[in-house]
Amino acid sequence: MNAIPALKDVFTRGQRQSDPDTPRAPEQGGEPRVVGAVDALRDVFTRNLRQSGIYIAFVAIIGLFAWLTDGLLLSPDNVTNVFLQYGYILILAIGMVIVIIAGHIDLSVGSVVALTGAVSATFVIKQGHPSWLGVLVALGVGLLVGAWQGFWVAFVGIPAFIVTLAGMLLFRGMTLRVLHNISLSPFPTDYHNIAGGFINGVLGGNGYDVFTLVVAAVGIAGYAYSQLRNRRGRIRYQQSVEAFPLFVLRLVLVAVVVMALAWQLAHSRGLPVVLIILGILIMTYSVITTKTVFGRHVYAIGGNLSAAQLSGVKVKKVNFWIFVNMGFLAAVAGVVFSSRSNGSQPAAGQMFELDAIAACFIGGASTTGGVGRVTGAMVGGLIMGVMSNGMQLMGIDQSVQQMIKGLVLLLAVAFDIYNKRRAGAAR
Amino acid sequence: MPVEAVRDETIGVPDGEQARQTMTTTTTRTPLLAMRQICKRFNAVEALVDVDFEVYAHEVVALVGDNGAGKSTLAKVISGVLQPDSGLIEMEGETVAIPSPSAAHDLGVATVFQDLALCDNLDVTANLFLGREMTGRALLADAQMEDAAKKILRDLSSRIPSVRTQLRDLSAGQRQSVAIARTLIGSPRIVVLDEPTASLSVAQTAEVLTHIQGLRDLGLGVVLISHNMNDVRAVSDRIEVLRHGRNNGSFDASSASYEAILAAITGATHQGYRSVPRFA
Ligand SMILES: Nc1ncnc2c1ncn2[C@@H]1O[C@H](COP(=O)(O)OP(=O)(O)O)[C@@H](O)[C@H]1O
Ligand SMILES: [Mg+2]
Repeated sequence: MNAIPALKDVFTRGQRQSDPDTPRAPEQGGEPRVVGAVDALRDVFTRNLRQSGIYIAFVAIIGLFAWLTDGLLLSPDNVTNVFLQYGYILILAIGMVIVIIAGHIDLSVGSVVALTGAVSATFVIKQGHPSWLGVLVALGVGLLVGAWQGFWVAFVGIPAFIVTLAGMLLFRGMTLRVLHNISLSPFPTDYHNIAGGFINGVLGGNGYDVFTLVVAAVGIAGYAYSQLRNRRGRIRYQQSVEAFPLFVLRLVLVAVVVMALAWQLAHSRGLPVVLIILGILIMTYSVITTKTVFGRHVYAIGGNLSAAQLSGVKVKKVNFWIFVNMGFLAAVAGVVFSSRSNGSQPAAGQMFELDAIAACFIGGASTTGGVGRVTGAMVGGLIMGVMSNGMQLMGIDQSVQQMIKGLVLLLAVAFDIYNKRRAGAAR
Repeated sequence: MPVEAVRDETIGVPDGEQARQTMTTTTTRTPLLAMRQICKRFNAVEALVDVDFEVYAHEVVALVGDNGAGKSTLAKVISGVLQPDSGLIEMEGETVAIPSPSAAHDLGVATVFQDLALCDNLDVTANLFLGREMTGRALLADAQMEDAAKKILRDLSSRIPSVRTQLRDLSAGQRQSVAIARTLIGSPRIVVLDEPTASLSVAQTAEVLTHIQGLRDLGLGVVLISHNMNDVRAVSDRIEVLRHGRNNGSFDASSASYEAILAAITGATHQGYRSVPRFA
């Protein structure tokens, strides 16, 4: 009677006994202990590629452009520049990936970046208020914008696509109003230092900043520790993990990339303040998405809306706060961007929403919701950033750059969908 | 008048021993859940008309009826998804309102909905605790939830490989046992299962039926909605028939003939059921 489950049981028990660190055969692959070279290789190219594919792609793209630019890409000043140029996109992508996981989209963030920057500039440059007040007011405007859009999406039930498309126009119009169609600049030094500043020489160093290196080392150690813990947990629960050598390889790769990056930063101007803001935001939002009830509910809403509702998830409330949060992060990006550009322009932030959305999808978020990670979105954003920066260094025409970025986005999502289909078929 | 009297009359062939036994186990207690004269209409459709329904502790009540008879609608009223237009709901003798799924949960009603309310993108533990997560210091208490999940799945002797498996990687039968296990979170008093065996293989169905017996053995009141008579007769103690949104017979599962139940479902017999006042 219970033939099928019994068989399954035998199989899972077999798996349990097998050494967790040897790569396992694909699900239907007979004897789990003996894994042929072909199977192992196939394993690398299916599950492992899906897990670490984006990191491999990232390293490959860095390698490619480093080679194409004769190493210019990885020069200290340029590495610093990439972060200064794309920091605000990464900040937007953190909020955007949460929006996308819940099955929504936000097209208004570019306009919100412009509006918050404009309000801040008006306060600080035009009216002469202190910088911190400008920042606070900008953040307040971001929260209000988020509450406005959250209200329409969550409580009135208008699709986020429409609400934020309206918001894109609305907040761009407000920006023009606030600025009376003219640019404002420059900010006082302390405001400019928010995104243009560096921390250098805190711990001394001979031409290279020790503090930057220490921060990077601590970061790597923390990352390795959390990955190891995660892996132990998965093994304890008999879940699939990547082969141990691959796991180590991945950690080493991350460590090398981060350390090389820190080395370059330390050689240049030190640790950019933007990077510190970004680091804090990434850690905070990684915890929020994976370790809090709110985060869990965001995934549930994106995964199966009616299930979430029937399970007692307060869907409206969660949706509302998702957009409030997006408004807040758009304001942070607005402050960072206005600080970096040392002023506010009516046309600021155009197309930022598309870069942020692309970062999420390249970083593995699902177009149907329910899937995505903050770290994935960050790597996706950096892939876009490195590509743009590399192509700029090579002097490639803007038009070609856009075409290439468009194709990369298309291919990344196609690859993801292809993988999902195959995983579905294999089941 | 006690329910059993109605039964004896409708079925006509009272099994003396069985009748005495049910008498002593049910008539002396107030029902866990009593629904009286429940009406629900969707525009022109009368989904429920003056429906009476009771569930006792330690009992599996099967709710049967043809497609569109109103079974799911009744389940949704019990679980707070739908509000009745009129009628009374009592739990352990007290009148209650069930305005939302979380209110139902607070009252001790857990439901497995017909279209499984599970999230494919979350793991087993996350699904079990969805909407009622355990927390410690503002963060999810994952370890605690995993331990509780393992215990519940063990109690149900379910064959889930790991509580960290994502739902999308489970078979239909395994998903169903997760849905059933979900009902055990927060120690409910009543479990409602809407067509839990539809779309399952024979082996998987047997597993689910074992789970249902497990729920009864834990002392819960179980409502099993199904139109598979084999399943119903295998596990239920009492069978209530709905037809066109109305009560159309109540049977003792161990004594009622298959033909009599089928006749009530298809409308070949109108049991004269409504002529007997059920509640004194
Ligand atoms: N949300 C709804 N809106 C309109 N009609 C509905 C709705 N839900 C159920 N009905 C109608 O109510 C009747 C009873 O449905 P249901 O309770 O689902 O039947 P069953 O579960 O017994 O097959 C059917 O005629 C159905 O079409
Ligand atoms: Mg139904």
